[in-house]
Amino acid sequence: MDWSTVFSMSTLVNTVNTATIVVLAGLGCLLTDQVGIMSIGIDGMMTAGAFAAVMGSWLCGSWLMGIVFALAAGLLFGLFYAVFVVRFKSDEFIIGVAMNIFAVALTTFMLRSIPGQTGSFHPATGTVTKLPAFTLTLPGGTPVTLSLMVPLSWLLVAVCWVMMYRTPLGYWLHASGEHPESLRSVGRSPERMRYLGSLLCGLLCGLSGAYLSLGYLSTFTENMSASRGYVAVACVIFGRSNPLYVFLAALLFGFIDTAGQRMQGVVDPTLTATFPYIGTILMMVLLAARTAIRKRRA
Amino acid sequence: MKKETKNYLVSLSCAVLLALLIGAVIMLITGHNPLEGYGALFTGALGTPRGIGNTLYKAAQLCITGLATAVAAQAGIFNVGGEGQMFLGALAACWVGASLNGQSPWLVIPLCLAVAAATGAFYAWIPAVMKVKMGISEVITTILMNTIAIKFCTYMANGPLKTTERGVNQGTASLDKLFRFDKLIPGSNLTETIFYIAVLTFLVWYLMTRTTAGFEMKLTGQNPRFAKFSGIRAERLAIIGMLISGALCGLLGMFECFGLQTRFKADFSNEFYFDGMLVAMIMRYKPVGIILMSLFFGVLKIGGITMQSRTGISSELILIVQSIIIFFMAAEDGVMQRLRLRRAARGLVRSAGKDGEA
Amino acid sequence: MEKGETMVSFRHVSMQFPGVLANDDVSLDIRQGEVFALVGENGAGKSTLMNILYGMNKPTGGEVYIKGQKMTEFSPKAAIARGVGMVHQHFMLVPSFTVAQNIMLNNEPRRGIFYDFKAANDTVNRLVAEYGLQVRPEDRVEDISVGLQQRVEILKTLHRGADVLILDEPTAVLTPQETEELFAVIRRIVAERHMTIIIITHKLYEVMEISDRVGVMRQGKLVGVRNTAEVNERILASMMVGKEVLLDALERVDDHDETVAIEVENLQVRDSRGLMAVNGLSLRVQRGEVLGIAGIEGNGQSELIEAITGMRPIHGGTVKIQGHDIRGLSPGQIRALGLAHVPEDRLSTGVSAKADITDNLIVGKEKRPEFSLKRVHMKRRSIRRYAEEIFRKFDIRGAGVDTLTGDLSGGNMQKVVVAREFSFDTPVLIISQPTRGVDIGAMDFIHQQIIAKRNASCAILLVSADLDELYRLSDRMVTIYEGRITGEFLPDSIEKTEISYYMTGGGSRKEAAR
Repeated sequence: MDWSTVFSMSTLVNTVNTATIVVLAGLGCLLTDQVGIMSIGIDGMMTAGAFAAVMGSWLCGSWLMGIVFALAAGLLFGLFYAVFVVRFKSDEFIIGVAMNIFAVALTTFMLRSIPGQTGSFHPATGTVTKLPAFTLTLPGGTPVTLSLMVPLSWLLVAVCWVMMYRTPLGYWLHASGEHPESLRSVGRSPERMRYLGSLLCGLLCGLSGAYLSLGYLSTFTENMSASRGYVAVACVIFGRSNPLYVFLAALLFGFIDTAGQRMQGVVDPTLTATFPYIGTILMMVLLAARTAIRKRRA
Repeated sequence: MKKETKNYLVSLSCAVLLALLIGAVIMLITGHNPLEGYGALFTGALGTPRGIGNTLYKAAQLCITGLATAVAAQAGIFNVGGEGQMFLGALAACWVGASLNGQSPWLVIPLCLAVAAATGAFYAWIPAVMKVKMGISEVITTILMNTIAIKFCTYMANGPLKTTERGVNQGTASLDKLFRFDKLIPGSNLTETIFYIAVLTFLVWYLMTRTTAGFEMKLTGQNPRFAKFSGIRAERLAIIGMLISGALCGLLGMFECFGLQTRFKADFSNEFYFDGMLVAMIMRYKPVGIILMSLFFGVLKIGGITMQSRTGISSELILIVQSIIIFFMAAEDGVMQRLRLRRAARGLVRSAGKDGEA
Repeated sequence: MEKGETMVSFRHVSMQFPGVLANDDVSLDIRQGEVFALVGENGAGKSTLMNILYGMNKPTGGEVYIKGQKMTEFSPKAAIARGVGMVHQHFMLVPSFTVAQNIMLNNEPRRGIFYDFKAANDTVNRLVAEYGLQVRPEDRVEDISVGLQQRVEILKTLHRGADVLILDEPTAVLTPQETEELFAVIRRIVAERHMTIIIITHKLYEVMEISDRVGVMRQGKLVGVRNTAEVNERILASMMVGKEVLLDALERVDDHDETVAIEVENLQVRDSRGLMAVNGLSLRVQRGEVLGIAGIEGNGQSELIEAITGMRPIHGGTVKIQGHDIRGLSPGQIRALGLAHVPEDRLSTGVSAKADITDNLIVGKEKRPEFSLKRVHMKRRSIRRYAEEIFRKFDIRGAGVDTLTGDLSGGNMQKVVVAREFSFDTPVLIISQPTRGVDIGAMDFIHQQIIAKRNASCAILLVSADLDELYRLSDRMVTIYEGRITGEFLPDSIEKTEISYYMTGGGSRKEAAR
């Protein structure tokens, strides 16, 4: 096997492209984590975002409308999640899992009812406009094409970091998760912060879905998030709720995914597709083992 | 009947009716006649012997997967990975079975049952231990392990274990006719496995509601600290709950392949486990409730297929209706509490008013 | 505003929680520039009343006026805007934030949209200089002592311009020296800033020391308001408890079995943060005696009990139950040696709130031959019969054994715990806070049960934050301070004030001097 195909510039580009899905969803999950909500439901938000983006792009003929649709869908699902978890105090796990199933069912149903298609979306009329991409020429002379969403996701990591650690809002969000009563006692509603966290999570997952269906691929397929939402949750745990570390964890996921694809010549592609999931589980085991060792030393 | 059970049944009936109503509205929006849709649904599920057979089998399937979710949840651990356990159990049983083609079924069937159960249980044991010993969320690990198991089984069935029979383009080698479970109603999916499923259902119900182990599992799930304090070995019970859950899934995988498919095929399940999990969640992991609700959801699932073929309404609508029922039931606690508080407050104001007059 | 003018006025205030009338028609005026003490037993409704003033609860009846204005909106925001500040018993601080971030929470100085950390620290330093309350703005709250955390809380309210300051049980967690410092601060801010202080407490000597006027609450009602100079501790105590609760003396029978059943030798236990909470503690309990442990909460009592019962690992030293070393044993194995345990927090440890009373009574006994066939099949009829019998014997009041335990009142829930643990008939009993949040009737009943166990020659280790309870039940008492025993006493040979001195480290300081 030729290892140079595994460790090459195109691997790096592919890693970044794949990771972006998880980066965006991970940031969303991170914000709900800040406000003390376990966001099991982000897989569903991504699926909804992906479907809405394709519909928006196809119906309006503009990628921008795709993004608007995706943001709207994410916002709706984020609001939905918040109403149940914050207002009705429902079990986050039950609502999250049910929401993921609901999102897959709803998008599949709509795919079969609106354009009347099964499996994936291939319009007979009109086209799905992809997100704009730009091409860079790297020092080695290799041209690299990146979707607009990739640098945008990096920008969002930075924005998220600044918001969390450099603005009062970030501290309110955190306080509403760590010690909600302290926030309430100074006259700010922790529930509102939790709503805000969940809504922002919805927006980011909507973006993640839009990138998935209009940037990374250019179609919607049934159940297309393929549990990447859960990978994002794992990345937040592994990145110990710091946007930069979450970003790095997502890159690691992207790398394992890409490296797996590159090994397809040697290993069956169905098997290599399991690598990122095995990698994610190993990441969590490593983190747990490290915490356990630290505790024993203390 | 206990007061809570009664209140619960009232809420549940409202939730089911409302969800069906929302389903009807969706049909209207998408340009279908809801009466026609639901009509097709119920006649499809219950109108013919074939339909009834399919419905019964679907209900049995939902019942086993629902109980698999419930038995783990009762011990305080959530098994979202039943799908993967089912795939591995099915693949292992088919592989062992097909390698022993020609031997006595009295030897091979029990062996395959054991292999299926053990494989499913083993695959559930991994996340259980990670949860209990290392505190890693089992919700995330089990769902990721689903993807791993399904891809692995797909690879095996289309690669190393692919059948060499001519004219068969996917799946493992076919099982000896003697090993297969016969159909009880010709043309339907109802096979002899329903008897095995009935026995398993009884056993799990008995374990969960009538044994000391079930009792201790229940307390562990309700309050793990209290269970530990009372001398219950909570961690062990959580692992046992997961093992039983995995074994049930593994067995169901084998029933599918030995009954309907005659071999392992990578597409034998259409996320069966999640349907059962939804039933278990709606019934709050209570075994009797799950058994009864499985029948109702069996009707919806099988009828949904007829509905799709006759009226063109996508059967995914049923899944939407099911998840809406869950949303209603999950909100029920919070809504009820709010109502109770409001009522209590109003009662007090009224009595205070009377005092003022006096 | 003139000194002596009415600042806060409660008019017929009632507060109904589901099942509990926490405040019952309370009318009270509090004046500018006074220190007003609100006293009463646990559950008398003091905190509820003050939470209403601070807008955390909306009263179900009556009206509240602040500086003559009727409160229409009940929220902390509205209360803060009118100059009310509150230091809660459980501090409202975010542990991972710094002192400055906590003080400035929701009031952050900004530069543009950004948090101006420097301005925040400067503001806190200015507050420190102004009020003489020393704290370092950059310290993380989780790293500083409880006394300092309280200062942060006070500064937080002062920064928000509070002129009515509510302190909920401020001295419960403080050392005597910290208490003195706190009182000095209170005197200073009242003298210099004419602030109005409302202090909730149940320590009467503190009332005498710090307050100008005192209001006494009992069972949700305000039973009287007095000038502190005109009353003494005894008068207040009788107002607090009412007349009917002069409890009968408990009958003790001694059989002089001197076998040591609990033996703790040089025990070391770490708390959840990894700090040494129990540090070289030794004690012995004989059969037929109640050993009471007196101490201010957070001095290692909880960790000691958890270590003895197997809920927390032992770091060093030994614990022997009935002569068996329990190191490394699980709670179940320790119970099998003949130990039963009433835990300090019934809701988190003592019951399953989602299970019915029957289930909660049978736990731990389900594998006995009378309740299960071959330790597997539950005999539901005999279990029910047994539960009903215990239900009657321990006078648990609820609709029946099918009632969900979580729906019971505190007293009845505690009776369920006591009933289960006492009916194990073990020779060793570990009892923590047996009557916390329990009404007087249930308290007396539980006390009688404890003494009955003692008379049946059980060895009983009792931890309580209630000194009266310890005096009533103990044959012998020890004081615990920072994870060590600081003194041993016979209840009838020592005054409460003296024992308080040992509870706050007095004894150990004396020994160190020697």
